[in-house]
Order: sequence, then C-alpha cells, then structure tokens
Amino acid sequence: MQHEQAEKSDTVVTWEDQQNINKFSKLNNRFHELEDEIKFAKETNDNLEDAGNELILTDEDIVRFQIGEVFAHVPREEVEIRIEEMKEVNSKTLEKLEKEKETVLAQMNELKKILYGKFRDSINLEED
Amino acid sequence: MASASAETASSSSQIATAAASPTTERRGIPAAQFVEDVQTFLSQLDLDVNSALAFLQERLQQYKLVEMKLLAQQRDLQAKIPDIEKCLDIVATLQAKKEEGEALTADFEVSEGIFSRARIEDKDSVCLWLGANVMLEYSCDEATVLLQKNLENAKASLEVLIADLQFLRDQVTITQVTVARVYNWDVHQRRIRQAAAAAANES
Repeated sequence: MQHEQAEKSDTVVTWEDQQNINKFSKLNNRFHELEDEIKFAKETNDNLEDAGNELILTDEDIVRFQIGEVFAHVPREEVEIRIEEMKEVNSKTLEKLEKEKETVLAQMNELKKILYGKFRDSINLEED
Repeated sequence: MASASAETASSSSQIATAAASPTTERRGIPAAQFVEDVQTFLSQLDLDVNSALAFLQERLQQYKLVEMKLLAQQRDLQAKIPDIEKCLDIVATLQAKKEEGEALTADFEVSEGIFSRARIEDKDSVCLWLGANVMLEYSCDEATVLLQKNLENAKASLEVLIADLQFLRDQVTITQVTVARVYNWDVHQRRIRQAAAAAANES
C-alpha cells in the first residue's frame, strides 16, 4: 500500500523530511478513507430519497419502518418526520466529510511542493 | 529539537534509547529508528548492507502482521458502533410509545425471509444481550444508560486504535525510507569503488 517511493541518492534526509513524508502518508490514507465514507454517505442519501419518494406514493396509513432488526408499525406522518431527520443528519455528515477531504487535499498539495522541492525526482508521491 | 535528539541516538552505541528517539515503542509496537547517516547506522548495527536490509525487511513484515491485527479490530469496532446505536434507538422508541400508552406492533424476522408480527405492550423493561450466552433484563432507563456507556467505550477504544494504527504507519514509512536509503548508499559506494578501481587501473 506504499504509493510513494523515496530513492535518495545523494540528498540527505533530515528528521523533518521524514516527518513530512510520514505526514503525507497519513494524509493519503485518510484521503482514501474519506472517499469511502463519502461514497457510503451518498448512498445513504440516495436510499433516504428513494424511501421518501416511496412514502409519498404509498397510500397506507401504517408504514413498516425499520428500527434495528425489526420493522415497527409506525404512522405515516411519523415516518415522514423520521426520514426528514435522517436526511438532515446525513447531509450534515456528508458536508463535514467533503470539507475534511478538501482540507486533506490542500495539506497534501502543500507537502508535495515541499517534498518535490527538496527531493525532485528522488521521490514519487503520486498514486500508482 | 527532534533532529538534535535523533543525532544523539545515532552517536550512542545503543539501537534505541528511551531518551534519544521520539518514542521507543507504543503498546508493544517497536519504534523504527530514524537514520541520520547511513554509514553511522551500519557501523552502529555492525552489519553489512545485505544483513541490514534483511533486518529492516523483517521489521517490515512484523509491522505488517501487527497492522493486520489492528485493522481487524478496527473493523469489528466500526461494526459494533452502529449496532449499539440501533439498540439505543429501539429503547428510545419503546419509551416514547410507553408515554403515548399505545402498544408497539412490529414485524420481526423469525427465520431467513420469514417474518412474524408482534405486539409489544409491556414496555417497562428490555432484555439486553451481554454476550457469553447471557441476557439480562433492565428497565428502559437503565438499559439506555448501559448502552450509552458501551457506545462511549467503543468510540474511545476506536480512537486509541486509530492512533495506534497511525503510529504503526509512521514506523512502516520510516523503515521503508531507511531501506531505500541503505540500498542507494550501497549503490553509491559501489560506484565510488568502481571509479576508484578504474582510476587505479589507468594509472
């Protein structure tokens, strides 16, 4: 899972360089984790949208709403409220994740500049 | 300050001293020694290049093993947390229904694909599965408290685990960089020797 290689022929590697490389590695891992989490949040968003749409289409008064492992019989209005709440929570989470992803990318680009500046061709920080 | 302490590490005759390197180990994971100068590092270990590379590779394998274990634990915890949250949700729903005085009707799975209907009237207590084939009955309030505590413990454990994994990844990166540097130093040395030998032949 190492996507960065460092071949330092004549350049000296200081502790600060090492720490920068470590930080870049951690940021890269976090970036991939965030991408997965964002994908999951978007899927949940779509599912909630579909559920909301189905709810509008149905004409039953009692809806089977899944709580935990069971499907509780819940009146329609309450289900509507619950789904709205879940959508709110989910979109806030998605927003937070997207913001974090941007921060992580910005930090990674900063580090790339520093590390490429010092090591030029001796280091590879791109995805394979 | 960090590079100064790393220099004292390479000049001392021990591989990892507690005062010199940033951390010697974390919860059983040995820290990788940062190498300031390859020559000093090799003489300190008293190994030739190939043995040093073998030693570093072995370290990497050990790190990989620990990483697998920690990742598995992380996956377990990440699955457990939504479960506990769902339990809290159910208990809260039961309590809400109790206030309204209505019975809660629910469809639950009897077997794969087969559901049955249940009407839950007495909502004063719930039974919680504690593991090890033990199930205890709690009042709704006690159950909420217990589940909350479990949730917090799980989240705290997850945080510690993530910090462990980050530390581990740092050590892996340091070791990989050291491997590359030792290898390149060796190539560099060979070139110098070849150049010196060629110069000696010419003269």
